[in-house]
Amino acid sequence: MAELFETISSLAKQLDAEHVSSRELVEDAIARTERLNPELNAVIALDKPGALAAADKADKARADGATSPLLGVPMLHKDIFCTRGVRTSCASKMLADFVPPYDATVVKKLDDAGMVRLGKCNMDEFAMGSSNETSFFGAVKNPWDFNRVPGGSSGGSAAAVAAGLTPLATGTDTGGSIRQPAALCGITGLKPTYGRVSRYGMIAFASSMDQAGPMARTAEDCALALNAMAGHDPLDSTCADISVPDYSAGLEQSIEGLRVGIPKEFFSSHLNDGIAATVTAAVKELEAAGAVIVDVSLPSTDLGVSTYYVIAPAEASANLSRYDGVRYGYRCDSPSNLQDLYVRSRTEGFGEEVKRRILIGTFTLSAASYDQYFMKAQQVRRLIAEEYQSVLKDVDVIAGPSAPNTAFVLNDDSKSITDMYMEDVYTIGANLAGLPAISVPAGLVNGLPVGMQLIGSRFCEAQLLNIAHQFQRRTDWHSLTPNLEGLTG
Amino acid sequence: MTDAATVRDVAALARLAISDQDIENATAEFNQTLALFDALSSADTTNAAPMINPLDSEQPLRVDRIETLVDRAALMQNAPASEDDYFLVPRVLD
Repeated sequence: MAELFETISSLAKQLDAEHVSSRELVEDAIARTERLNPELNAVIALDKPGALAAADKADKARADGATSPLLGVPMLHKDIFCTRGVRTSCASKMLADFVPPYDATVVKKLDDAGMVRLGKCNMDEFAMGSSNETSFFGAVKNPWDFNRVPGGSSGGSAAAVAAGLTPLATGTDTGGSIRQPAALCGITGLKPTYGRVSRYGMIAFASSMDQAGPMARTAEDCALALNAMAGHDPLDSTCADISVPDYSAGLEQSIEGLRVGIPKEFFSSHLNDGIAATVTAAVKELEAAGAVIVDVSLPSTDLGVSTYYVIAPAEASANLSRYDGVRYGYRCDSPSNLQDLYVRSRTEGFGEEVKRRILIGTFTLSAASYDQYFMKAQQVRRLIAEEYQSVLKDVDVIAGPSAPNTAFVLNDDSKSITDMYMEDVYTIGANLAGLPAISVPAGLVNGLPVGMQLIGSRFCEAQLLNIAHQFQRRTDWHSLTPNLEGLTG
Repeated sequence: MTDAATVRDVAALARLAISDQDIENATAEFNQTLALFDALSSADTTNAAPMINPLDSEQPLRVDRIETLVDRAALMQNAPASEDDYFLVPRVLD
């Protein structure tokens, strides 16, 4: 019998050989989720009838001769993607009763590829957070240690894959929200180039950086999922009209001679010593596979955090102005007038971190602060993007840690707001510059997973996936699974 | 440093309310975040053009043709209060 810790590639082979049916896989996934999720809290909507119907449809299609590596394989969506007829909350009280009348393009594309959606994953509210503690539906726990966070904002997606509830979950990454939770939960997560995957139907946070991507056990599985997810969409004017290669085709290529840049700023005082040693060992593994390691510099790395936390909240404050209690979303009780309706609906409907970011964003966009903060941040963003472009002329990819720390404890009061923002220090640059980046499991520190990040040139996802796959051919960190025996009884 | 009155003004612009009980903490958090932004002033941006979109792409235009992506009735089902095809809000004019 197949089991859900297996990869998509392995499950697809077993489905093809009729060793298992999609219905059996989906029934297993539902049972496992019902058993583990009360503690994990990774899944906030389970669509059993929809999933079983889709599984039966996939089984019939396969019996009729259809073949696709994703056909009949179960998966979960981050609850930021609109799913027709299934509540899409963005983990906010504001959208706790919102049932979209349409599907996001990503959802439609994966449906079209035959994947079976099981339900929706928990996340930080409106994707604002690095710990998954800002969800209206409560924190997600890290499967490796239930006293610790899974990272965020795609923390539910990462925890669900790590706990073997599903071989694939979608995520979104605005400042590291795929890569950081992937690192903290010991899975593989890819943030594609800005514009590679459609944002239509993906609830907006910071529109110039938001990007959807796959979260799975392996780079090989991320390639399979990206094959289905990527491509031009006339419904998203920022979605690039550039052809989609077969991301699986080049996975086996040798990385002999590949130039890998190691930015010294990624190994600064922010970085946990154990992670530094683990990522250094992972880089040596790339060297052993024939890569050439080159020291490089990205001097504005620390400035990226300030830049991001000006731009993202500014864009969020504009995007979230649509939630006014009038057309959809939460409305306060008995408003006395229109102004009261707006203010109380927003004040009661948004959580604390979301309101904090709306306030900062409103401030930096106000006439008195615009030049000092917003315009300045847009200019620094240019400098940061140019630094990355310059380095990527000399090397093929940049490698370093995905996050400065392993999973931290839940409800850690010693962490200030800005300490939390610094968790994104190594991931933010790729978002500001619009570059693709992937996090791959690279080892354990004190029993907790560590991720190595690889950042590439625009639209070079195939190269990142090739390197990540070659790394995973030589190591088995991606095969490690957390001990959930106490819960699986 | 920003004072509580400014934070209240910003909240009013954002259509958010901050209670008297929360304003001190909200102002402190606001200032903590602004302090993080101080580092930006150290960057020499003399010749740096603002970067609004990471691809610096131009806005593509489509044919100006009406298309119905979602029907009106389906959209109205999420309205907190509606009547016929209209959203209901508190009376604006007496």
